[in-house]
Amino acid sequence: MKLMHYFIVFFLCFTFTVTANESGTEITQNKPRIIALAPHIVEMLFDIGAGEQIIATTEHANYPLSAREIPRIGNSLRIQLERVIELQPDLIIAWQSGNPSDDLARIKQLGFNVVYSQPDTFDDVAKELRLFGKLSGHSEQAEKVANKFLSDLAKIKQQYGQKKPLTAFYEVWSRPLTTIAKGSWPQQFLDICSISNPFYQSDARYPQVNIEQILQTHAQIIIQPLSENQAAREGYTWQQWPILPAVKHQQIIKLDADVVHRMTTRSLNALNDLCQQTDISRQYYQRG
Amino acid sequence: MNFFRVIKGKNAWIFSGMIILTLFSIVMSITFGPATITSNDIFQCVVNECASPMHDMVIWQIRIPRVLVGLVAGMGLACAGAILQNVTRNPLADPYLFGIISGAGLGATIATLILSEEQMLALPLAAFLGALFSVIIVFGIATLLRNMNHLLLTGVAVSFMLGSISHFILYLGDPFATNRVIFWLMGSLTRVEMFHFYLISIMVLLTLVTIFAFHRQIDALLLGDESAASLGVNVDKLRIILLALCAAVTATIVAYCGGIGFVGLMIPHIVRQLVGVTTMPLIVGSALIGGCFLVWVDVLARSALSSVEIPIGIITSAIGSIFFLAIMYRTRKTG
Repeated sequence: MKLMHYFIVFFLCFTFTVTANESGTEITQNKPRIIALAPHIVEMLFDIGAGEQIIATTEHANYPLSAREIPRIGNSLRIQLERVIELQPDLIIAWQSGNPSDDLARIKQLGFNVVYSQPDTFDDVAKELRLFGKLSGHSEQAEKVANKFLSDLAKIKQQYGQKKPLTAFYEVWSRPLTTIAKGSWPQQFLDICSISNPFYQSDARYPQVNIEQILQTHAQIIIQPLSENQAAREGYTWQQWPILPAVKHQQIIKLDADVVHRMTTRSLNALNDLCQQTDISRQYYQRG
Repeated sequence: MNFFRVIKGKNAWIFSGMIILTLFSIVMSITFGPATITSNDIFQCVVNECASPMHDMVIWQIRIPRVLVGLVAGMGLACAGAILQNVTRNPLADPYLFGIISGAGLGATIATLILSEEQMLALPLAAFLGALFSVIIVFGIATLLRNMNHLLLTGVAVSFMLGSISHFILYLGDPFATNRVIFWLMGSLTRVEMFHFYLISIMVLLTLVTIFAFHRQIDALLLGDESAASLGVNVDKLRIILLALCAAVTATIVAYCGGIGFVGLMIPHIVRQLVGVTTMPLIVGSALIGGCFLVWVDVLARSALSSVEIPIGIITSAIGSIFFLAIMYRTRKTG
């Protein structure tokens, strides 16, 4: 079982690969030098024009292209303290749940300025964009990016929020079958696209479920985010369960996991994509 | 003095060699690390004043504590292994067989999942308490069975029991926390400070002093319980004291360094090839070789890959198992 958790975390790490419009890079004199300890932080900083100020990051921060050039000083499990000291950053932005807390505590103890990032919702993304803008000296651009993000989000909410709910099974991982529940990042996508999740009330945020339980849900759609970055990632073979309406009517929505599970402005693209595809399924069921 | 009696005859050369190797290892290992600092800078830093505050911080707050903790942790684990092997007359005895690592793992699991703040303090404490808990259960059951020879078997059973509880908690918990606990169990010296060095040193010193006091009685145990009893040794009492001591040393090390396997099993076997089975030379030799071994393993852990650290337990087990098999093969041919 622990292997499975390990997979999920790795899967999430892989999918937090970063993308952003390369913002106009300003001259970064008198701007704080930043160590960004997660790919989503790197992306947000590039989004607000502070990409040039990043002096180090962790593995998997591979977008935008210039992010690949940033020196690596660790991964989600271990940060190289000596390198942090050597680089003498003005600011360290850490991912609260994704970085090793003992290393972060040690870094703080050594007197470095550590700020935490923990975007659990879309609103958090906007909040953190503004926060990073303030910290990196790019308040103005951050404000613009955050406002655009929120207004785009509001538009999608308005467009799809009141539709007739469809029941869906969200497949985070196929072996073992793992889904999402309240409090998880993808759950917001379902909420906004008017999709009801039969496993919403589970205790864990990413519960493992049995196929028997899924057959009882009468799921009308199956959402299957797949990542191109992972060779071993295979979707569940739903074809053998035509008793599920989603399988019978072939309403399986495939998403790009790299975009969905990324806590940045780009996640709205995935949100829009999911809502649109769900709407097509909705029309299909209404016709039938 | 007992100590000097150990260092005589052919052993004198071997022990001088080991001491020189240990000192050399301590000095040399400080020059390895991901931060680029020249040996000259380090020399300056240690002898005089550091060239920059960055060097000062890296050397005094990161590297020197790591090297020293690595040294004493290796010493402690190897000594505990050697004592256990002699006391139980079982060549497979290892401090982790008491379920210490699974107990510590359970403690760490609970601390990681329940307390998100104050992990610097809570995690080692919980791991220590978990380790102690497992040892107490193992001892309790072995006492109930009225057979201390079943201690290791009890340890294996308790180990699996506590492991299953941890796995169950992790299974229900947050994937990130699960990840952290699993990698915590692989061992690391990255989080150590000078304070940990003092704490572990005290435990190791206490162990060595106790061994110096009881080494004759332990040697008598090697002849069998009846023979030892006929020589006037209180076998049960001696065994309990020594086992408790090993448990305390190992639990302290595990609490700060995580799981570092194989050191306690392998090092005494190597040292036995060099100096024989008698307790005093075996323990002193194990301490020196174990210390050197872990210092160099940590050098590898922090500088083998340029952008990440390798958990130390992975390296000890990898090197350890191969080396161990090689030694067994060699003794088979010659012996």
